[in-house]
Amino acid sequence: MKKTLTLLLSAGLVATATQAFSSPKEDLQHFRAYFEQRFPGVQLNDFSNGPYALDASKRLQWESMEEFPPYEEYVDKGREIWETPFKNGKSFASCFGKDPSKVRVKYPHWDSKTQQVVTLEGDINKCLKANGEKPFGWKKGKIAHLGAYLGYEARGQKTNVVIPNDPKALEAYEEGKHFFYAKRGQLNMACADCHVYYSGQRIRGNTLSAALGHTTHFPVFRAKWAKKGKGDGLGTLHRRYGGCNKQVRARPFKAQGKEYRNLEFFHTYMSNGLEINAPGYRE
Amino acid sequence: MKKLITALGLALLIAGCNATTPQKPTSMKAQYEAALAETQAAVKKAASVGGEWRDIRWKKSKKKYLPSAVKAAEAGDYAKALKLLDIAKFQAEAGYKQAMAQKNAGPRF
Repeated sequence: MKKTLTLLLSAGLVATATQAFSSPKEDLQHFRAYFEQRFPGVQLNDFSNGPYALDASKRLQWESMEEFPPYEEYVDKGREIWETPFKNGKSFASCFGKDPSKVRVKYPHWDSKTQQVVTLEGDINKCLKANGEKPFGWKKGKIAHLGAYLGYEARGQKTNVVIPNDPKALEAYEEGKHFFYAKRGQLNMACADCHVYYSGQRIRGNTLSAALGHTTHFPVFRAKWAKKGKGDGLGTLHRRYGGCNKQVRARPFKAQGKEYRNLEFFHTYMSNGLEINAPGYRE
Repeated sequence: MKKLITALGLALLIAGCNATTPQKPTSMKAQYEAALAETQAAVKKAASVGGEWRDIRWKKSKKKYLPSAVKAAEAGDYAKALKLLDIAKFQAEAGYKQAMAQKNAGPRF
């Protein structure tokens, strides 16, 4: 009996250790396999459409919304922001290159110099500061408009986050992964609880989307965010992270803080190979 | 003799009343101050491991137990302040325990 118990415990320990130290590549394989098994009828790239890939009636509503997408005017505003020169005569092209369609796909990435995850929003504000301009707010408004434009220009390109074989980069990835799977807040829920284990199920009138494909459509236009006092409807990924944390009654972290940047690093890597379809529309 | 005892009794009663009446709020205030310090330490501990819950002191929370307790104490309502601090401290301790329990969280597939 003792031997059996020892064997079982050892097996459990080995399994835990293997899980904790699996490589990003292995994580990606397991993650994808889980969703492919859970939703056998859904094509890989369709996961980018969130709940609309999982719920036929919601999909019909969404498709009708996409005929005259409410985010279109913000894509135009974003284009204007991109093209408007700074006071010093330079523009965003001086920081990101002339081709706006090649910007979005580079983010997020690991910067070996600063030893941290760099996001598109982070570089937008870095560019503004470097050119003597006032940085944008992190969650909505101009930063989301410019993000929507760059996302729109990058539509059809595949997400391709690289996790370099650098211990610090792997640490950031692991921290993002831990954030995703750790329960938090008074409701004791993890990102994974809703978007992995209960994905496809209902939470009141909403269908819980699969985490696979989550990051492809950000910034996103949410009908909820277009209500009075909430903004124009468009918001960044970190705005959504904060909202999710708030909903499980955890104190949200700061947008573009280390916690959410690392989460974005892991979260986006999990959607590698899926096409960018930003900006998206969600309820 | 009887007069002397009555006079002494009265004097003691008056002295007693004078001594005990102002002590009551001081003691509530002391209780509040001690509870505030304990709660702040618990919140700091929870925040240090990323385990702070929403309603303790986050500016957009409708409840904001900790700042509400301070406000109640400023208004002299120590009973309410202590009640709110009790909730805030419980949430902070629970948040810390939760974060510790989730230290090795990972996928279950």
